[in-house]
Amino acid sequence: MAEASLSRMKAPSLIGVVARKEFTEIVRDGRFKWTAAIMVMLLLTALATGWQKYAAYSAMQTAAQETSNRQWLKQGDKNPHSAAHYGNYAFKQAGPLSFFDNGIEPYTGNLLFMEAHKQNLAISRPANDMSAVTRFGDLNGATVLQVLMPLLIIFLGFTAFSGERERGTLRQLLSMGVGPRELLWGKALGIGGAAALAIVPCIVLGALAIGLLDLSSTADALWGRVGLLTAAYIGYGLIFLFLTLAVSALAPNPRAALIVLVGFWALSVFMVPKSAAEISKAVYPSPTLGEFQAVMKADQVRGLDGVPTAVKFGTYVRELMKEYNVDSPMKLPMYFPALRMQKLEEFDHVVFDHHYNALRNTYMAQRRFQDGLGLLAPLLPLKSVSMGLAGSDLLHHDTYTRAAEAHRRVMVERMNGYLSKAAADLNGVSNSSNYMTADEEVFAIVPPFAYTPPGLREVVTEYAGALLILAAWVLASIVLAAAAVGRVRRAGA
Amino acid sequence: MYSLIVAHETRTLAKTPALAWILLLLSAAIAFGAWSASALLERQARGAAAISQYEDGLRAQMRAELAKYEEKVKASGGTLEFAPINHAPGEGPPQATNAGAVGSETATFAVLPPAPLAALSVGQSDITLNYVPVSMRNVIDVTKENEIENPVNLKTGSFDIAFVVVFLLPIFILAMSYDLLSSEKERGTLAMVLAHPVTLRKLMASKLISRFVILLAVVTALGLGAVLSVGSALDQPATWAWFGAWLGATLLYSLFWFALAVLVNALGHSSATNGIVLAGAWLAFVVVVPTLVSVGATTLYPAPSRMDFTTAAREAQTAAEFERMRALDAYYYDHLELVPDAADKANDFLTLAMASSAAVEKAVMPLYEEFQAQLNRQEAAVARFQYLSPTLMMQLALNEIAGTSADRYEHFMTQVFAFHKQWTEFFAGRFLKRTPLTTAEYDLFPKFTYVEEPAGAVMARLLPSLLGLLAVVGGVTVFAFAALRKYRVAGR
Repeated sequence: MAEASLSRMKAPSLIGVVARKEFTEIVRDGRFKWTAAIMVMLLLTALATGWQKYAAYSAMQTAAQETSNRQWLKQGDKNPHSAAHYGNYAFKQAGPLSFFDNGIEPYTGNLLFMEAHKQNLAISRPANDMSAVTRFGDLNGATVLQVLMPLLIIFLGFTAFSGERERGTLRQLLSMGVGPRELLWGKALGIGGAAALAIVPCIVLGALAIGLLDLSSTADALWGRVGLLTAAYIGYGLIFLFLTLAVSALAPNPRAALIVLVGFWALSVFMVPKSAAEISKAVYPSPTLGEFQAVMKADQVRGLDGVPTAVKFGTYVRELMKEYNVDSPMKLPMYFPALRMQKLEEFDHVVFDHHYNALRNTYMAQRRFQDGLGLLAPLLPLKSVSMGLAGSDLLHHDTYTRAAEAHRRVMVERMNGYLSKAAADLNGVSNSSNYMTADEEVFAIVPPFAYTPPGLREVVTEYAGALLILAAWVLASIVLAAAAVGRVRRAGA
Repeated sequence: MYSLIVAHETRTLAKTPALAWILLLLSAAIAFGAWSASALLERQARGAAAISQYEDGLRAQMRAELAKYEEKVKASGGTLEFAPINHAPGEGPPQATNAGAVGSETATFAVLPPAPLAALSVGQSDITLNYVPVSMRNVIDVTKENEIENPVNLKTGSFDIAFVVVFLLPIFILAMSYDLLSSEKERGTLAMVLAHPVTLRKLMASKLISRFVILLAVVTALGLGAVLSVGSALDQPATWAWFGAWLGATLLYSLFWFALAVLVNALGHSSATNGIVLAGAWLAFVVVVPTLVSVGATTLYPAPSRMDFTTAAREAQTAAEFERMRALDAYYYDHLELVPDAADKANDFLTLAMASSAAVEKAVMPLYEEFQAQLNRQEAAVARFQYLSPTLMMQLALNEIAGTSADRYEHFMTQVFAFHKQWTEFFAGRFLKRTPLTTAEYDLFPKFTYVEEPAGAVMARLLPSLLGLLAVVGGVTVFAFAALRKYRVAGR
C-alpha cells in the first residue's frame, strides 16, 4: 500500500523525504531501541515456547489417539453393547497455527469420552491444571502483537505532529509548502517502517518455521491462513498508526497526545474486551454444568415434547408387534434388548441435540455480540479472526465435539446393530452365540476416531463480520488522520 | 507548611476535570466489577442448587417408594426385604431398600461456599467446579468434571474488582502523578515555588499526600460499597478483618505506584518521557513479568498429560475387567434389567464392580496425585517469583483474601475425598451385609459441610505477599526521595 500511495502522489520525493527523516529519527532514538528490543525478545520467546508447546501437545495427542483407538480394538472379547460402554476417547487436535495463537485452547477440554447412552462434554481443561497466574495472559505471538504492537506504534508516533508543533518545526514545514497529504503519508511510512523493522523479521522467522517443518500438510490452505493472518495484523497496526497520527495532529502537546493514546490503548486492549465479555454473558446467559445436566437428565425422562420417553417407547413397541404380528416383544425376530437400547438411544439424541446446540449457539451468539462491540475496540474482531485462522477458536472446537458425537453414535449404533442380530430365540434365554460376544474383528466395524478440522472457507465465512469491522476501522482511522492533518494545515499549526 | 501545600494541592486537584474523570471511571469500573462478580457468584449458586435439587429429588423419590413399601409390609405383618439391583423393577421390594443402588446411582453434591469477600477477586473460581458429585463411583469421577462457560470469555478473564485494583488503579495513579514535578518545571512554576521556604522533598510529599488521601477515600468508599452490596457474612468480625487486609493491600499497592511516579519524576526528564517510562513500567510489572513468571512456572513444571492419564486409566480398567469379571457378566452389570435368572447375581456384579473400581483407583490415584503435586510446584514457583512484580504479589494477596486461591480449592478437595470415602463406606457396608435400608436411615446419609481453613493458614500464605509489597514500597520510596536530592530545578 505504501508503494501504491507513493506513486499516486503528486510529489513522491517529498513523501520519501519526510518518511526517511521520520524513520531515521525514530530508529536512532532510545525509545525505539528499548521498546523494539523488548518486543522482539518477547515475540521470539513467545514463538519459541509456543512452538515447543505445540509440538509436545501434537505428539501427545497423536499418541493418545492411537493408543485409545487400539484399546478399543484390544478391549477383549465381550458383549458388543458392553464394548460400547467401554467406548473410546476423542482427543482434540491442536490448531495448525496455534503455536502463534493458542486462542481458547487452554480453556476448552481436549478429551471427550464416547460411550453408550451418554453424550459427554469435552473434559480436561489445561487451565484447570495451571497456576492462577496464567490468567494474566498467555505469552504467545498473538498476544504480543495484539497488546504490545499498538503500544510500540504509539510510543514511536505520538510526537509525530505534537512534538514538531512544540518545537515550532511544524509551522516551518508547512510554510515550506509541504502539503498535509505528504506529511501524513510520509510520517506514516516512516513510523510504520520503523515498527515493521522490529516485527517483520519475527514474522518471517515464524513463517520460515512453518515452511521448514512442513506444517502445510496439517491444515487446509495453510498459506492462505498465514496470508490472511498477516493482513489482519497489518490492518490492526495501521489502525493504531493512523490513530496515533490523528491524535498527535490534534493534541495541543505531546503529553496530551500520549495520555489520550495510552488511554485508548488501555481501553481497547483491556477494558472494552473484558466489559464486552461480561455484558455478553448477561445478554446471552449460558447454563452452568449443574443446570445443564439437571435439565438434560430430566428431559431424557420426560421428553422434550412433553411425551415421556417410556410412553414413546411403549407406542413404538406396540406398533412393531403389530407389524410383525406377535403378542410379546420377546417374540420379535430380533434380539429385543438390543433393539430397545438403540431405540432409547435415538430418543436421547433429540434431547442431546437440543441442549448441546443451544449451548453452542449461546456461545456463538456471545462471541458475535463481542465482535459487534469491536466497533469500540479493534482488538475484539482481530482476536476472533486471529483465533479462527490459527485454528484455536470455537469453530474448531465445535467441529471436534461434533465429530466425536457423530463417531459415538456410529459406534453405539453398530454395536447395538450387531447385537440385535443375535438369534431371536435368545430372547428370554441366557445363552451365548456368536452375536452375543464380539471380538476384535467385530470392534473393527467401528472406524478409528479421526476428524478433519474446518477449512479456510468456513473460517472466513464465520468471521466475515469481524473482518469487515476491522477493515472499517482501518478506513476510519485513515480518514480521521487525513482530516486531523488537514485541520493542522488550515489552522496554520 | 505541609498543611498549607496539601490544602492548596487538594484544591487545585479538585478543580482539574481530569481528576473528576479519573474518579468517575474508577467508580464505574468498581461498580461494574462488583456487578460481574456477583453475577458469577449467583451463577455458581444456581448451578449447585439445580443439580443438588435434581439428585436429592431422586433420593426423595426413592424414600417415598420405600415409605410406601414399609407401610405395606407393616400392614401385612411381614418383614422388610432387600431388593436386588434391578434397572427395570417390577414387583417386590423397591430399589430404595438397596444401599448399593442408592449410593451408586444417585450422587450428592459437595459444595464449596464462596468466602465472604469472594466478590473482590474471581481468581480461578470461574473455572473450578464448586459443586462436586460424590457417589460410590470411582474417586476419579469426582474430579473430572469442569464448570462450563464460554471458553472465549474464560480466555478474556473476568472484569472483577481485582482487575480494577491490579490493572486499572495503577493507570489512574500514574495519570495523576506522572508529571508531578515535570509539569511544574515545564510551566516554569517549580523554581518559583521553591523560592519559598519549602524543600523539594516537602513539596513532593505534600503533592503525594493530597493525591493519596483523595484516592484512599474514594477506594475505601467504593470497596466498602462493594462489600456491603455483594459480600456475605457481614455480621462476622472476620469478614471485616479480611476487608481490612484488602484495604491494607490496596493501600500498599497504590503507594508503590505513587512512589514509582516520584522516582521517575526525580530523574528530571520531560513529562512525555516520564509518561513513556511509567507506561513502560506499568506494562512490565502488570503484563510482562506476570506473563513471564506464568510461562516459566508452567514450562518448568508442566502439568502431566491428562491424555496419558486417561489412557493409563483405561489400561488399568481393562486389566481389572479381565481379572474380575467375565465379559458377559460385565454386560449384565451395565444392564441389570436383562439378568434373566439369578437376581442374587446382580448384587455380585455390584460387589465386583466395586472391587474393580477400587483396582482402577489404586492404579490411577498416584497419577492423579502427580497432577496436584505439579500444580503445587507451579504455585510454589509463582510464590517464589512473585517478588519480581508488585502486581503478582497483589493478585496473590487478593486471591487469598477473597478465598479464590488454588490452596483453598485444594483444601476443599481434600475434604471431598474424605467425604467420598465416608459416603462409599456408609452405603457399601449396608449393601454388603444385604440389609434393607429403612426410611429412618435415609436421614443418616452422610452430609457434606465445608470446614473453612483456619485463618492462620490463610494468613501464612498472605503475609509474604503483603510483606513483599511493604518492602518494595519502602525501597522505592527511600530511593525516590534520595534521588530528589539530585533533582535540578532549573535547566535541563
